[in-house]
Amino acid sequence: MKQFSRLIVFILIAILLLAVVLDWGYTTIFQQSSTRGKIEYVYHASPQQYDVVFLGSSRANNHFVAPLFEEKGIKTFNYGMSASHLFEASLLLKLMVERKFVIKKLILETDMNLANETRDAGISAQFLPYLHDSQIIKDHFSVEQDFWKLYYIPFYRYLAFDAKIGFREMNRSWRQVPTNYLDNLGYHPLGGKKKGNMKNDIHKMKPLDNRYYKEIKAICKANNIELIALMTPMCSNVKGMDYFDRVKSKYPEIHNYEKAVEGDQYFSSCGHLNDEGARMFTKIILKDFFGKS
Amino acid sequence: MFFNSLSFAVFLPIVFVLYWFVFNKNKASQNAVLIVASYYFYSCWDWRFLFLLVFSTFLDYYTGLRIEKGKTEWGRKFWFWLSIIVNLGFLGVFKYYNFFASSLSESLNAVGLSTSPLLLNVVLPVGISFYTFHGLSYVIDIYLKRIKAETNFVDYSLFVSYFPLLVAGPIERATHLLPQVKIKRHFDFEKAQEGVYQFLWGLVKKVVIADTCATYANAIFDYHSSMNSLSLILGAVYFAFQIYGDFSGYSDMALGMSKLFGIDLLRNFNYPYFSRDIAEFWRRWHISLSSWFRDYLYIPLGGSSGGMGMKIRNTFIIFLVSGFWHGANWTFIAWGLINAIYFLPLLLLQRNRTNMETVVLQRNWESVRVFGSILMTFMLSCLAWIFFRASSISQALRYIQQIFTDQHFTSQFLKNQRYNYELLFLIVAFVVVEWNSRTKVEPISGKYSSLKLVLCLAAILALGTFSDYKEFIYFQF
Repeated sequence: MKQFSRLIVFILIAILLLAVVLDWGYTTIFQQSSTRGKIEYVYHASPQQYDVVFLGSSRANNHFVAPLFEEKGIKTFNYGMSASHLFEASLLLKLMVERKFVIKKLILETDMNLANETRDAGISAQFLPYLHDSQIIKDHFSVEQDFWKLYYIPFYRYLAFDAKIGFREMNRSWRQVPTNYLDNLGYHPLGGKKKGNMKNDIHKMKPLDNRYYKEIKAICKANNIELIALMTPMCSNVKGMDYFDRVKSKYPEIHNYEKAVEGDQYFSSCGHLNDEGARMFTKIILKDFFGKS
Repeated sequence: MFFNSLSFAVFLPIVFVLYWFVFNKNKASQNAVLIVASYYFYSCWDWRFLFLLVFSTFLDYYTGLRIEKGKTEWGRKFWFWLSIIVNLGFLGVFKYYNFFASSLSESLNAVGLSTSPLLLNVVLPVGISFYTFHGLSYVIDIYLKRIKAETNFVDYSLFVSYFPLLVAGPIERATHLLPQVKIKRHFDFEKAQEGVYQFLWGLVKKVVIADTCATYANAIFDYHSSMNSLSLILGAVYFAFQIYGDFSGYSDMALGMSKLFGIDLLRNFNYPYFSRDIAEFWRRWHISLSSWFRDYLYIPLGGSSGGMGMKIRNTFIIFLVSGFWHGANWTFIAWGLINAIYFLPLLLLQRNRTNMETVVLQRNWESVRVFGSILMTFMLSCLAWIFFRASSISQALRYIQQIFTDQHFTSQFLKNQRYNYELLFLIVAFVVVEWNSRTKVEPISGKYSSLKLVLCLAAILALGTFSDYKEFIYFQF
């Protein structure tokens, strides 16, 4: 049994050492990369000056055509990220402020993402390589149930979110394989493919007293950023459309642009405008908030 | 509680410590620990089915005793058939009733009689096919006077419910397992070390190979209509390695952990993808099930003693039943039928027992032929796996048709955000490791075992799929 105990101790030590070494290796590689995604781009950014930036989910990423703003002389970047929630939007804004971004206006997509306060596993995982190096990221994650595992168990974060920050992503970061996330000033156009699902059922969704929305409002106030919160367009075949009215009554400051673009020909799927629709919508925003037509 | 879960990583050491350090006085206390642990393990799936397991165990235990003590042939027959009917009845109700009811209804609808089947809203108890077969083999062996009935209920319960084999086999025989649980086990370092190595290699097969292949195979099979020929071929290959990694990985973990308790289980896999023909493949794939069907179905049906016609009939029967054993779906039956058809030429040419020894390759033309036959056997099994994986026979046929009609062999970006060819490097590496260790049960032992052990651990940590968790495929059977 002594020999066996030695074998088990050897295995346990090997696992621990491997976890420490792999954690260090992955973290080092991810920290060298700054061009594969918006989070690492912000994390490694030097101070920037923007007239306006966009935050939110895919309904920000696919809807605000950042190059149209630039054409009008408005310096901008679309930091919307597909599948992200307000948890990630708030954290990204905190990092921008820490990196001394000067932002005049923040356009925040706030509609369906008000209905939850959870983090998106895939998007939030991209912050995890910096967990030990950024107090802001550490504090932001500290309220999460699995924080102690993510923070204290070596390599756990890479193991638990291997699909996003596992071996494959590490390998691609190491080889600096390019992505298209930063193209078009962060705007990702949809279209040129078959139509997606043109109906949606959101009747069970309820807008929450969302802590991360409040956080974003507080950050903007403290840093003299004008916050423009708005709901972006949906296709016509939505069950539970009164959700947007409930958002409006709970948060009167949020602008309702849910019907700003009508007609399924402008949508790639029910919640996402195609490029043509996004350009129409962006022009409306340019006119309404920047007086540019 | 899966073998590759965190809860099992806590459960197993606790049982190990209790078994060897607290309740190690005699075999009764050792067996008691294992049976309590086994029932706890099973109840973690669904405690309600624990009653079914205990009832099934008691039924076979009791009928076994009554058969042995039966004074008349009629009495022996009565208890024997009671056990068979009740065991198969449970299997029929939980696993096959809905299939038969809906198939009958569809048939009646097809001839113009409008019916709607009365379906049962039941969940398939985990491992029912496995523990039912344990019990059946035990009762049949007693009836045929091959073994004596077990009088100790705890010992018999352990034979049926021993947690390493409870939910997905291997399907044990009373002649092999019962003698081991009848004596006190003494700790053997060599055996325990081999067990640890085998367990870890099983874990590599599961989390590195099977679960990674699953993300690709699912992305291809679920969207097969938009896939090109190369993706579809790779999808079948990925599924072949998924199911092999999944099931043989599970078996390795079961055999490995059992060795930690000083108990040897039947070997279930012997590098089946290095087989030179389908007959050899079936001697190496899910060995405990194949041999079960051979001993309790093929031979009682007359085996190969009644001429070629009888051989062919019996071969088709066991393949069809084997397919149906896997699940209540026509796809499994088709899979069994295809394998029977593959087997037929070997049977007719009487070449089904030619490749009995471990394959060896050298630098000569004979080895080229052998390599070709291995490749051909693998391709045939991949073709059959398409039916096993598909949700319906028509889907499988469309899948195969598209392989031949699409004619595009380019890289394709899949729904899992990966290119179709990306996993090939991992598969090739895995095949090389398996080839080099094909004369052993696992590749870690031997020269440089510490280094190989560390590499295995590194592979599990760095290459394993953990976030997209997949259940063991055979748990559903």
